[in-house]
Amino acid sequence: MHRSLTLLLALLFTLPAWADTDNIKPPTGVRVYAIGPAPDFELEDMDGNRDSLSSGRGQWVFLHFWASWCGPCRKEMPAIQRMATLMEDEPLKILLVNTAEDEDTIFSFLGGVAPDMTTLMDRDGSVTEVWKPRGLPATYLVDPYGQVRYQALGGRPWDQPEYLGFLKALAHSSDDAAKPLVDGTGRDLETGKPATLGNRTTGK
Amino acid sequence: MRPVTTLLLLGILSITGLIPAYAEGKASVELEFKPRTPDQMSAFYEARGFPDAMIKPLHAQCFITVRVTNTGQEVVWLDLARWTFTVNGAPLQRYHRNYWLEKWKTMGMPAASRSTFRWTLLPEQLDYQPGESEGGNIILPRVKDPIHLHAEFATGKDRKGPTIKLDFDNLRCVSNIP
Repeated sequence: MHRSLTLLLALLFTLPAWADTDNIKPPTGVRVYAIGPAPDFELEDMDGNRDSLSSGRGQWVFLHFWASWCGPCRKEMPAIQRMATLMEDEPLKILLVNTAEDEDTIFSFLGGVAPDMTTLMDRDGSVTEVWKPRGLPATYLVDPYGQVRYQALGGRPWDQPEYLGFLKALAHSSDDAAKPLVDGTGRDLETGKPATLGNRTTGK
Repeated sequence: MRPVTTLLLLGILSITGLIPAYAEGKASVELEFKPRTPDQMSAFYEARGFPDAMIKPLHAQCFITVRVTNTGQEVVWLDLARWTFTVNGAPLQRYHRNYWLEKWKTMGMPAASRSTFRWTLLPEQLDYQPGESEGGNIILPRVKDPIHLHAEFATGKDRKGPTIKLDFDNLRCVSNIP
């Protein structure tokens, strides 16, 4: 009896760590978009620093394509900046990719609407061409294993509770849950041995 | 009122932005049209550093910005191959995006300009999720007479829902303001 109770308590405490992203409900305008591996890229930001999508491996990546000529981008960017501030301590990498504009245009646009943000520059649009967003702005959420998992339709109020809660839930699911750990028979997918509470609470 | 007349009236009112274009059951879509003057379009592309060689042929065309919004609860499928433009009953061939993209490529235009140009066009095909709104330009040969558009949209996740059929009269290419 005592052992069962201990097991039950252990299970209760470890459940959040087991939480699968399938149980995280996307907010309005964000849809499940499991198309497979995210095409990697490496680009320079406005200061000449290089960054890549794969550098975010191990955590969720908020990948956002935008351009200054896109009206909804102007409205959405301040919300992204506020979201970035509120998510500063969360394990979420935010990558903005400007589509085929020059530095002056980008600098004056961001200076006006989101001065704290920086962006990668897809100078010739080649990265955007590979990703082929359905329109601009376009946001994708890439899981810690480099798989595209969600897509946002148009501009979204990312700084609002519904969206922040979703992003935080995803960020914390990255501890374990994006990858299946145990098969249908209860066997560990990595070792093939029967899984136990002791070795399967974190999954890494 | 006869159905065709009703659709026509809905289309005309929709062009003026007065009402949603059409609604049938749970699938519905709203279209908004904004004709652009040649100078508006040239200014837009010039401001983005497009070469004159790209702007000149575009200046001669008829640009209409279209916004499509799924106002229903079903997926709506845009397929521009199912849009027919006519003038006085004769077909008016819309320029497919590939026409321009091939042209720019052949002319050796900068990749950044080609990419930006692509993003200013209405997608040839797109699934619109409930509540989603995406827009872009369609490019037609410039004509003086009113243009009629017949547009059809498949609906439902598997595209097997009722087809939405819309007719819009009196679309017009607009000229520069003297």
